[in-house]
Amino acid sequence: MRDVFLTISFIASAIAWPALPAAAHHSFAAEFDITKPVTLTGKVTKIEWTNPHAFLFIDVPDKQTGSVTNWEIEMGSPNGLTRLGWSRTVLKAGDEVTVEGSLGRNKANLANARSVVMTATGKKLGAASSEGAQ
Amino acid sequence: MIPMRRIAFVLLLVVFGSNGSAQTGTGGIRGAVTSPDGPVSAAPIRAKHQSTGRIFSTTSESSGQFALTDLPAGIYEVSVPQIGLVNAPFAQQNVTVEAGKTTSLHIALVKGNLGVIGDDNAYLTIRNKYPNVRGAAPRLPDGRPDLSGVWNANVDPNPEPAALLPWANEVWRNRLSTALRDYPAGFCLPDDPTPSIPLLYKFVHTKGILVLLFEHEPHYRQIFLDGRSHPKDADPTWMGHSVGTWDKDTLVIDTVGFNDKSWIIFPTGLPHTEMLHMVERYRRPDLGHLLVDLKLEDPGAFTKPLERHMTWALAPGEEILENICNENNKFPEYAGLK
Repeated sequence: MRDVFLTISFIASAIAWPALPAAAHHSFAAEFDITKPVTLTGKVTKIEWTNPHAFLFIDVPDKQTGSVTNWEIEMGSPNGLTRLGWSRTVLKAGDEVTVEGSLGRNKANLANARSVVMTATGKKLGAASSEGAQ
Repeated sequence: MIPMRRIAFVLLLVVFGSNGSAQTGTGGIRGAVTSPDGPVSAAPIRAKHQSTGRIFSTTSESSGQFALTDLPAGIYEVSVPQIGLVNAPFAQQNVTVEAGKTTSLHIALVKGNLGVIGDDNAYLTIRNKYPNVRGAAPRLPDGRPDLSGVWNANVDPNPEPAALLPWANEVWRNRLSTALRDYPAGFCLPDDPTPSIPLLYKFVHTKGILVLLFEHEPHYRQIFLDGRSHPKDADPTWMGHSVGTWDKDTLVIDTVGFNDKSWIIFPTGLPHTEMLHMVERYRRPDLGHLLVDLKLEDPGAFTKPLERHMTWALAPGEEILENICNENNKFPEYAGLK
């Protein structure tokens, strides 16, 4: 039988949930503004491998002025990061990384991390390797 | 000898039958499921016929491709549930399926919860590791099914909306409009007491008690299987008081005695009262799967019972890890609540 392809492409529209600030622990949407994406490159100064969330601190130089600002980057829980292949020693002070995320709503120099890429290796840390079989 | 009139009648039926089939025949939906990370495999996809309520389901291939075939012509709602804590649920109404035609549908999942690294604590990263756990369900010495194991929980792929009383609906809408910022777990208080969170649950099952261990507050539940009843006039608690009985091979857990502080049906965050009554039914049809049916009644908040139906998968190489929330909780400050 002849198939007639009616092309309907939809961007996900979450009709059931007008908002979905879901989190195991809390709502990231209450802390960070998804409409304010940020990309930061800098050297690691500290990692807080703590519950309920791990934090990465990086020194980010301003290309114009040369001044350095220490940014705090929130990630998931150590348990979640561990299951993605991280450990508390994956990053150490001095490693340069590029972080993509969203700006904090209520605190300066705060962002979350959607991705962390190590400059030396080009490796993207913590990305789910695939979204495979249930 | 068959009379000609009868042959003509049969032919007439065939012709009309054929026409009828063409008018009410079947079609399909095909396409791909993607996320910002690429194709999404094994995503459960449901198509609900909007007038008959019939549900058809499939799962995506490793390439993300899927095909729903032999769908009666009509209008469908196509949905993909929240997958782990990473991908937000998808729902698209008014997808038309015409007889003899295939509708193409691209399901582009978006990141839930801003896509924070490591926020998916179990489901998405673990489900790939144990795709085909097979075998017979184990049994306790008394012959009852043994529900022990580390289970990778999942959410209902086709959840019905809650039917809330006006006050409860107002509270819930307010919670949504403020990005669930007052969610108790954000302050290291207990999380949803219902089995609704796509994280790991460890079941330690003996004849007299079932203990659930998990990585969120308060980290444990006790379900008494020794024949005791609920206490009379017990102090309300976050997790309530649970007793279990058997209905053939299904463990039926009855829980009352909740306080009204928890937000339920993760990630929905519904309010409830102390009248909340939870009935869970757990059945282990084989080694690798746990069928979870949940029914919640609360005449103080719901206009009708709320049901959820989930299938959890065994994660045999996993363990429950420590997660002490008060160690370094910055949420109240960073959400501007402190």
